Amino acid sequence: MTLALNLDRKAQAAAVVHSHGVPHRRIEEWKYSDLKAVLGEAGLGAVVAEWLVGNLPHGVEMFDLAQPNPPAWVMAHVARPSQNVMNAASLALSAGGVAFRVPKGAAISAPLKVDFTGPGHVRALLVLEEGVSLTLVEGVGATDFRNVGFEIVLGEKASLEHVRISPNAADSVLVEEVTLHIAAGGRYRGHFAGFGSKLARMELEIALEGEGAQAHLSGVSVLDGKRHNDVTTHVVHRHGNTNSTQLFKHVAAGQSRAVYQGKVTVAKGADGSDSNQTAKALLLGDMAEADLKPELEIFADDVKCAHGAAVGDLDAESLFYLRARGIPEAEARGLLLQAFLEDAMAEIEHIDQRELVRTELLTALKAIA
Amino acid sequence: MLEIKNLHVAVEGKEILKGLSLSIAPGEVHAIMGPNGSGKSTLSYVLAGRAGYDITEGSIVYNGEDLVALAPEERAAKGVFLAMQYPVEIPGVTTMTFLKTALNSQRRARGETDLDAVGVLKLVRAKAKTLNVSEEMLKRALNVGFSGGEKKRLEILQMAIFEPKLAILDETDSGLDIDALRLVAEGVNALREPSRAMLVITHYQRLLDYIVPDRIHVLAKGRIVAEGGKELALELEAKGYEHIVGQAA
Repeated sequence: MTLALNLDRKAQAAAVVHSHGVPHRRIEEWKYSDLKAVLGEAGLGAVVAEWLVGNLPHGVEMFDLAQPNPPAWVMAHVARPSQNVMNAASLALSAGGVAFRVPKGAAISAPLKVDFTGPGHVRALLVLEEGVSLTLVEGVGATDFRNVGFEIVLGEKASLEHVRISPNAADSVLVEEVTLHIAAGGRYRGHFAGFGSKLARMELEIALEGEGAQAHLSGVSVLDGKRHNDVTTHVVHRHGNTNSTQLFKHVAAGQSRAVYQGKVTVAKGADGSDSNQTAKALLLGDMAEADLKPELEIFADDVKCAHGAAVGDLDAESLFYLRARGIPEAEARGLLLQAFLEDAMAEIEHIDQRELVRTELLTALKAIA
Repeated sequence: MLEIKNLHVAVEGKEILKGLSLSIAPGEVHAIMGPNGSGKSTLSYVLAGRAGYDITEGSIVYNGEDLVALAPEERAAKGVFLAMQYPVEIPGVTTMTFLKTALNSQRRARGETDLDAVGVLKLVRAKAKTLNVSEEMLKRALNVGFSGGEKKRLEILQMAIFEPKLAILDETDSGLDIDALRLVAEGVNALREPSRAMLVITHYQRLLDYIVPDRIHVLAKGRIVAEGGKELALELEAKGYEHIVGQAA
């Protein structure tokens, strides 16, 4: 237990976990994702999950959080206090994790690939200093239960594209909390593809802290069986003239459940901020469920905020049009489902990653169309 | 080629077609004219196989086969094509992808091999040129942001690519200015041939100045109330539907 974290912070986090307990459905934010029920007797446990880094791109610095004597950049950013119970749990109950830094002036072209595997809790930290850019590809391995607490700090004009694919893992409980701090001119693009687990939850807490900071979130999910996928976001516009967009599309078949909870807060004084939230779901069958909950809290003036959510079935007229042109029903349905997801997928700027997500989506769609 | 006998069709329990009979031979172009609400679009949808149209009586035989028993995609593969009055917009599917998928689906259903991407592109480009459909249109999402004229031109382009045996044109003239109408009509006329039959459905006589039919049927209140040669269109134009429908009643 030589976790190179501030021990006071760990104690604080343990207190948060102790006072809240395991989140369950009677807590508003966990209404559609009853973690306590799926974990049962085993509870949160105190195992340390593993992380793997394939090839560390030249110029990216890495530090193992289980090692002593962390460098100053780790100490400056790691383990910021959080009231989020699962984030606190990842800190209180883990004994390790990984930290990365892209220092100012570094030019990185290859993506940084990090995989989280095995059961338990683990922490991660990524710091992008002023002006650098990076593509982060996060791999999610199937396991009984894992909780990842990920902190990301973007310096001025730093740019990060984050792609995460949560696999089809019907027996897994996969929870992750990302907290992001974005300085002036910083730009974050996060893309979350989910194929569903017993319970899968990706939670993002994003603070836009300087002039012109941006966060663009998008996601697609294709679910079947009894699988579940939850994306919960909270974007806080702390500074004026900041911009956030969110576009989430879900296809749910069988008895699956797709959840999107997105809250946007425009803080007092964050005038001239601009936010847009869209969440849509197609339900295939009577037993599938989508819970889409966009929310706005505005304390500033002269802001442009839009949000919308829609749940429906495939458009009968479009389906007829395609079939009348000779395309068999199953194929026509697949084409329309793919078309429905297309704009959210097109948000991925990294071409290889976009094609990877597209391939996985097509495979998943084929199974349910 | 097409033999419709005593066709009764109901939509949501309401009878729209009330005993329609019609026979079209290969190489012929027939027109169906009629006022709004006469059942023209219902007829076109029933022929293409859209869900929600209940055939309560009568039969439709296409090339000796019961058309009603076939799914829409089977009808398409066997050469039935409906140029729709309101082509649907499908964001997320490019026009070119749609054309390739549809063409190869029809070929596969007929036991033919797929055309590869280059083959499809060549075919589409050659046909697109004469209909003034641009490369840029083919790259856009299907019908999304297309003008009325562009949508109709794309319908006729599909007809040229799929080479149907029976083409049904539902109000192809609606929403077109005179130049667009002429272009579309020329496209249709270029596809007239001895082995192909066409059924042109229209409210106005105008289209029939350009696509001259062999035979005209007047549809009112779900029945054919008058039939004649191309001169019938002029009579309708001069005297109005009321006159003819009234005479028949």
